[in-house]
Amino acid sequence: MPTINVYKWRLLNELKINESKLEDLLFNLKSEMKPIDQDHIEIEINNDRPDLLFVYGIIRAIKGLLKRELGEAKYPVKSTDYSFEIKEVKSRPYALAAIIEGIKLDDELLKELIQFQEKLHITIGRKRKKVAIGLHDLRKIDSKKILYTTVDLNYKFVPLNSTKEMTVKEVLESTEQGKEYGNISLFDGKMPAIMQDDGQILSLPPVINSEKTRIETSTTDLFIDVTGTSLDAVISTLDILVTNLAEMGGKIGEVKVISPYTDKSPILRHNKIAISVDYINKVLGTNLQKEEIIEYLKMARFDVNDLGKEIEVIIPPYRVDILAPIDLTEEVAMTVGYSNLTPSPYKIESIGSLSDKTKVTRLIRDLSIGASFTEIFTFVLTNDSLLKGEYAKISNPVTIDYDAVRNSLIPTMLQFLSKNQHSRMPIRVFEVGEVVVKSEDGETGYKNRLNAVYAIMNSKVSFEDLQSPVHYILTSLGLEVEYRREKNYYLIEGRTAGIYSKGKMIGLIGEVKPEILEELKIKYPIIISEIYLDEIEKLL
Amino acid sequence: MLSENEVKILEYLKKVKEDTAENISKQLNIPIETVFSISQLLKEKGYITVEEEKITKYELTDEGKERLQNGLPEEILVNTLGGKEAKIQDVKDKLGKDFEIAIGWAKRKGLIKIEKDSIIPLVQHYEAKEEKEALLKPETAKKEILQELLSRKFLVKKEEKTSRLKLIKEEIEIKPAITFLTPELLASGEWRKYSLKEYNVEAYPPFYPLGRKHFFKEFLERLKDIMKELGFKEFYSDYVEIEFYNFDLLFQAQDHPAREIHDSFSIPGEGKLQDERLVEKVKEMHENGWKYKWDKKIATRLMLRSQTTATTARILASKPTPPLRAFTIGKVFRPDSIDATHLIEFHQLDGLVIEEDFTFRDLLGTLKEIFSRIGIKEIKFKPAYFPFTEPSVEVYGKIEGLGWVEMCGAGLLRPEILRAVEINSPAGAWGIGIDRLAMLLFGLKDIRLLYSNDVEYLRNRKVDMNAYD
Repeated sequence: MPTINVYKWRLLNELKINESKLEDLLFNLKSEMKPIDQDHIEIEINNDRPDLLFVYGIIRAIKGLLKRELGEAKYPVKSTDYSFEIKEVKSRPYALAAIIEGIKLDDELLKELIQFQEKLHITIGRKRKKVAIGLHDLRKIDSKKILYTTVDLNYKFVPLNSTKEMTVKEVLESTEQGKEYGNISLFDGKMPAIMQDDGQILSLPPVINSEKTRIETSTTDLFIDVTGTSLDAVISTLDILVTNLAEMGGKIGEVKVISPYTDKSPILRHNKIAISVDYINKVLGTNLQKEEIIEYLKMARFDVNDLGKEIEVIIPPYRVDILAPIDLTEEVAMTVGYSNLTPSPYKIESIGSLSDKTKVTRLIRDLSIGASFTEIFTFVLTNDSLLKGEYAKISNPVTIDYDAVRNSLIPTMLQFLSKNQHSRMPIRVFEVGEVVVKSEDGETGYKNRLNAVYAIMNSKVSFEDLQSPVHYILTSLGLEVEYRREKNYYLIEGRTAGIYSKGKMIGLIGEVKPEILEELKIKYPIIISEIYLDEIEKLL
Repeated sequence: MLSENEVKILEYLKKVKEDTAENISKQLNIPIETVFSISQLLKEKGYITVEEEKITKYELTDEGKERLQNGLPEEILVNTLGGKEAKIQDVKDKLGKDFEIAIGWAKRKGLIKIEKDSIIPLVQHYEAKEEKEALLKPETAKKEILQELLSRKFLVKKEEKTSRLKLIKEEIEIKPAITFLTPELLASGEWRKYSLKEYNVEAYPPFYPLGRKHFFKEFLERLKDIMKELGFKEFYSDYVEIEFYNFDLLFQAQDHPAREIHDSFSIPGEGKLQDERLVEKVKEMHENGWKYKWDKKIATRLMLRSQTTATTARILASKPTPPLRAFTIGKVFRPDSIDATHLIEFHQLDGLVIEEDFTFRDLLGTLKEIFSRIGIKEIKFKPAYFPFTEPSVEVYGKIEGLGWVEMCGAGLLRPEILRAVEINSPAGAWGIGIDRLAMLLFGLKDIRLLYSNDVEYLRNRKVDMNAYD
């Protein structure tokens, strides 16, 4: 989940509440806060609420919960004489722009504004792939005609934080942002660019802005560009940005857009969703009256039209998380407060049941304890060097110690024993656990299997030391068991038997090869047995 | 209780009444040191008295040894004469330094007489039989012979101390002691002839490897029992999954950050999706909801499931007939750095209720009941976001000494998902992270102890009577 660092006092002063009240309110907005230092707090924001990634979005939401302001926050839009012409940019076809006038920035707020931009890049922007934002000081732009087009790699401009002119190629190769984001939209040797009609580059989306339009604490007016691969996401991002800046006190200025999809921006989209009182009460298990619901929706900053049977809810442009009536139902629940929704008493309606896997696991565990084996619990993931045959290999392991899924319990048991050579002997241990094997039956080509493994390690140990308990565990289940000579990678030939019942192989028993013991640096002999519980389950 | 050797010695003494330790050692073939130590034990037990006694011993001198081998001087003299008279000077020359001794003892024993310068033998042959026997066995020799041999310095007298064992407790039944009763002894009744050796019952026993269940497995089984008691049916699904069940069916957009490569383990290969109708509906759900082009190829990529909600998704995909209360407990896998609070594989308990009229408050009630039975009596609900539920909620439980801990994510399934799987009743679902909860309930400082590879840790863990209250 994204987090933002916020100058605490702005939040507390604007809202005139104390810190613990703030914490409660944030909790009910799905967020948590923790202190960073005396002046700053870190707030965790859920992925569905990009509008809260800036302090003024949080202020707007909390004002509703405190009933200081109800319904949608209205921000006047004035027209401007700026135009934004969209040319064909194949790798990143969509772009919109807007103007904000009359904001007051200070050091803290400037930092938070840049943070807002970055967090939008990461979340809704999918690391600038889907959406990228350019924030410019409007006063530093010398033209009212702005273009979105492409430039060649030898095109020159001064990138942000630089003093000298560089070619686009140099920017991509030598700046930090160029290296990280340069590949996203480079297409056919051309980069998308936002420029004045005189050819001066303002930004090179999604990589970097120009130094020319750098914003500073003295900046009062902004030109905002948003580019991307999804028109829907570009519209939402610009709406979220301008409404937050308007909440901060800025005036939204509309830009004329020359494009196939719109003729002006920001679009400030408003959707309408109709919802009934019955629906909300049925979902939540509540008995709320229409007036209460309308009040709660207004506290959640929605405008509402009472249509009699239904309530029509106007979704503000920045609430991209509201897709359907169910989302408004959650808004009502959150505004009521989850702590005010009494959990219903639990009613047991029917008899539960355990799976056959659980049942057979329990039988085997009980019998194994009776045979005085200590139960162990190892990881399913392991290092693939000890695995034989086919198994699921992980393409992106975090460590080579766990780069494959075991296909047998023998390797993980041997690894366990290798770490217990200084323990008191004899070591008699067992595990019931799952392994993953290849199987053409299902949708994945792999299948879980439930196995049991037994092992005895001691300075001297015989085949029968283990065969006896295993045999009587199996016969206790009512199985008729026979043993047939068998070969196995881990086990000594001539000291290995397959365990069969009704003609089916249900397990394996034998002494571990000295080569394997040596490989694992084990200094004691081991007798080991693996039992296939899925096979046994079928026979019970 | 008497040992075998004690019994032997007492039985011997029963016959002879008393004897020295040396003799007993010789007679019974028991090392003398053992006899000494047993005599002390028998004395303490009141069977015998032990007296210190002086015994006289005779030892051959070097001369004695030589005489025994080569003959006594008087023997040599008589046998040299061979019954014939001889000149003193001639004999003196033959016998050398022994001459005087030979003449003296031969005269004293009446073997010769001296006339002028001649020696006249009185006997033809002579052998000093008595003296030689006395040299070999001085203990049985006559006193005068012993005296003679001592005076002739063939023997020296030595005095030694020994123990004399005297039986004083005759009327006892002496039984040999044995360690083990055997079926043979019991069957024959022979056991009556033996006494059973005492054990050192106050000593600690040697190590015994006890069969014990794993504490964390027991915890998981207890959770299954809780769910069963609450009327839930257990389900299972496999670790290797196609992304469809882990993500797509759960309304997680294909470009959602949580689906990035570093958030789940991928497995090479491609899976299959056979339910075309379901695939079509899920595609529609994504494209309408998230406004992008859904790709079936991404949905069939293989991965290790990162949430047991994949099992829930499979239950949903099977289009069950409500009412249904289902649960699963199983492993999930997520890339992470492994440390005291993080593992890359851990357990989740996922639950699903599909019921006519199931409400959000019913969901909260269900969660409250489950946590109460697990032992978390105080919980609170926090609004939350999951792509597949709405309203969504996180459950925080209070842990003594730690405060509020996030334990579970839950919510009502989104209508879009229910439509895709063609289920008409509302449904609630949740996922509880088990390992960290177990760590807190067991009071462990390190989550890795749940999978300890130290058998001694498992052997030594105290079994807690109240562990599952």
